[in-house]
This record gives sequence, C-alpha cells and structure tokens, in this order.
Amino acid sequence: MISHLVCALSLVVFFILQTTIFSQARLIAGSADLILLFLAAWSLQEQVKNSWLWTVVAGLLISLVSAMPFYAPLIGYVGVVAISKSLQRRVWRTPLFAMLIVVFLGTFFQQALYVVVLLIIGAPISWSQSLDSVILPSVLLNLIFALPIFAVANDLAGRISPLEVEA
Amino acid sequence: MKFLNFRNLQTIILIVVISGLLFLALSGYFTPVFNLSLNPLISLQSWLSVRYLSARDFLTTPRDVTQLREQNTLLESQVSQLQTQLIVMEERLGEAQVCFALLDFGRTNPQYSYIAATVIGREISPFLQYIIIDRGTNHGVRYGMPVVTQQGLVGRVDAVIAGAARVKLITDSTSVVNIRLQSAGIEAQLVGSLTGDVALDMIPLDQVVEPGDVVLTSGLGGNFPPNVFVGQVLSTQRRENALFQTATVQPIVDFESISAVLVVNNFQAVDITPLIPEP
Repeated sequence: MISHLVCALSLVVFFILQTTIFSQARLIAGSADLILLFLAAWSLQEQVKNSWLWTVVAGLLISLVSAMPFYAPLIGYVGVVAISKSLQRRVWRTPLFAMLIVVFLGTFFQQALYVVVLLIIGAPISWSQSLDSVILPSVLLNLIFALPIFAVANDLAGRISPLEVEA
Repeated sequence: MKFLNFRNLQTIILIVVISGLLFLALSGYFTPVFNLSLNPLISLQSWLSVRYLSARDFLTTPRDVTQLREQNTLLESQVSQLQTQLIVMEERLGEAQVCFALLDFGRTNPQYSYIAATVIGREISPFLQYIIIDRGTNHGVRYGMPVVTQQGLVGRVDAVIAGAARVKLITDSTSVVNIRLQSAGIEAQLVGSLTGDVALDMIPLDQVVEPGDVVLTSGLGGNFPPNVFVGQVLSTQRRENALFQTATVQPIVDFESISAVLVVNNFQAVDITPLIPEP
C-alpha cells in the first residue's frame, strides 16, 4: 500500500517539476523527461512490483496534459518500462549500467515514436532535424539526470521494502 | 544700640565686601585675576580627565566589543530582513510591471476584451510548443480564442478545462498564421518549427521583402484578429525552381520567458474548413 502511495506522490512531484522547470530547460530543442527517468528507475528496482500499473497511470496522466495524441505518451512509457524489465533480468547485478542503457534506448524509442506520430498527423518535421535538434539533446539530458533520479528511486524503494515486510 | 555691636557690624561689613566682590566679578573686573588663577587649574583638570577617560576606556574595552558585536549581529539580521523585503518588493514590482504592460495593451486595443492569465506550465514533449495557463472555462476561456501579450501574438487556445487551458504557440511546428507585411502589403503564412523558430512562407517571388518589415496578422482564415503585431523580418531566402520565397522572422514575443498572457475573449474564431474545396 505504501509503495503505491510513494509512487503516486513521486509521480506528482516529478510531473510538477517536469511541466514547470525541466520543460523549459532546453538543450537546443531537446529537454529531459523526468517521468520517463523515474519510471525507468522505479521499474529497475527488484523489490518493486507495481511498476506496470504506475506506468499506465503516468502515461494516461501525461496524455491528458500533453498536446500529443492520446495514445503516444502511454505507448512511449510502456515501451520504456518494457525495455527496463527485459534488461532487469539480464543485467540485474549492475543496475546503474542497466539504468543508463534503459534511458538511452528508452529515450530513443519514445522520441522516435513521437516523430512517427507527428508525421502521421501531418506535422511538417523531418527525421534529420528531429534527430539533431530534439532526440540527441534529449538523450544527453536524460543520461545526465538518470543517475540522480535512479538514486532517488533506489532510496525510496529501499525505504519502502522493510515497511512492507513488517506490515 | 545693642544691634550695632561688634559681631553684627563685622557680619554686615563681610556681606558688603562679598557683595562688592561678586558685583565686580560679574562685571568682569576680575577676569585677568580669574584667568591667571583658573587656567592652571583647568589645564590640570583636563589632563587628569583625559588620563582618566583613557584608563577607563582601556579597562572597559572588552565589554564594548561585546556590545558592538551584539549590535553588529542585530544590524546584520536587520540588513538580511531588509534584503529579503527588497527581493519580495522587486518581485512584486516585476509582477506589477507585467500587469501594467498588459493593462496598457488592453487600453490601446479597446475593441477586444481580455482575460489575463498566468503561465503555469509547458508542454512535456520537446517536439511541441505549448504553454499551460491558469484560466479555463470557469473564467470564460473557450477553444480557439487568440492569446496575446502586450508585445504581440502568442497563439491560440488549443484545449481547455475548467481551471486551465493549453495554448498552442505560433512557434509550434504545426502552427500556421496568416500574416500581412505592413510596409509591402504582402500576405503570406507564418509557420513554426521544431526548434521554435518562425518563418514566412508563400511569399510570391515577384514581391520585395526587406529585413525589418513588420509582420502583422491579416485576419484571413478567421483564426486570429487582424493587425496584431507578430514580429519583424530578419532575412529572406529565394531558392531556384521554388514557387515562393521564404523569410525568417524574429518574433516580438520572447516565448522562453513568457509569464503572463491575455486571452482575447470576444473574438469569435471561424472554422472555414468546410468551405475549403477538397482536392
């Protein structure tokens, strides 16, 4: 129960930080995605069992706020957590390394999905400009913020687990 | 006769002498005598007083330092409080200046009525250029309403809920605004981009566009009111075999630091999509 509460509160905090601060902190035209980073870090924690549920909730929440088509953020975050879960089983001994790989692949997947969706709805954007101006800067920013977010998620998960064992 | 005995006579003479001396002293006749006799006394008094004060200062200095330190701490705390107040006042002044500027814009464009709103967030996806404002349907904001600042055009309301609205900026890659170049009288389209830059498209090749030309909304298409300031032409580009020339535009609004906007709530956007013939 407390795990759900902590996850919900963390998502709200990261959502507020994302919309107010991190969306404005641009590198060229790219920006960091704290929700993606938190979901990736949270799903990499061994003791966490509710990552799929909160991924869907976060996807729906972002879909409501974002101007992207409704399904795009949801699919993006589910894809990131899928990558995270598949890597968790393979490189579980080095979670930090797994986090960096998940962020790298996940950001590419999410941004590429956004480009495809925008092209489908008729936005006049090109792959090369998207890669240069948005995707690569976003990947770099996400990699920079990956470690502190992972530390926060790891700490939260570590504090929650003993409480749940006691309960 | 008993009254004039020796003792009484001595007393009377003494009183008369003292009175005379006082009279002479007050009249200034004794000044040289006083100077001669009192100056050494005063000098001695001064010398002694200076030494005493020095000795007292030397002995009581530690107490004064403590007092000074206390006073210094007190003053430092007061300075900190005043600095905090100054920062708060500067923030309020900045907000007031924004409000005055918006009010001034409203006064200079009295044909429209406005809803003032604060920017409370930005689009999460870096591919899109949107802002979120703190006014929604509860405050009269409706879909399609144009959004401006005191400087010029910002965008239009794209989605709205009870307490907030999402505004599509003119810098968004899917945004198209029909504009008019003030000096040349040319009509064209202003399009956004992924990076937030805006450019003019659909400028006929035979028209001359100069850097510095003022870009205003034309009102065509029914999405924006006419004659709202958008920006200035920076440069033009002509490509061979192209049907139209293009131009880069410097928007008048600084979209990075935009904090408050005005929603034009009495402009009715017209959807002319059904009137456009399908190819």
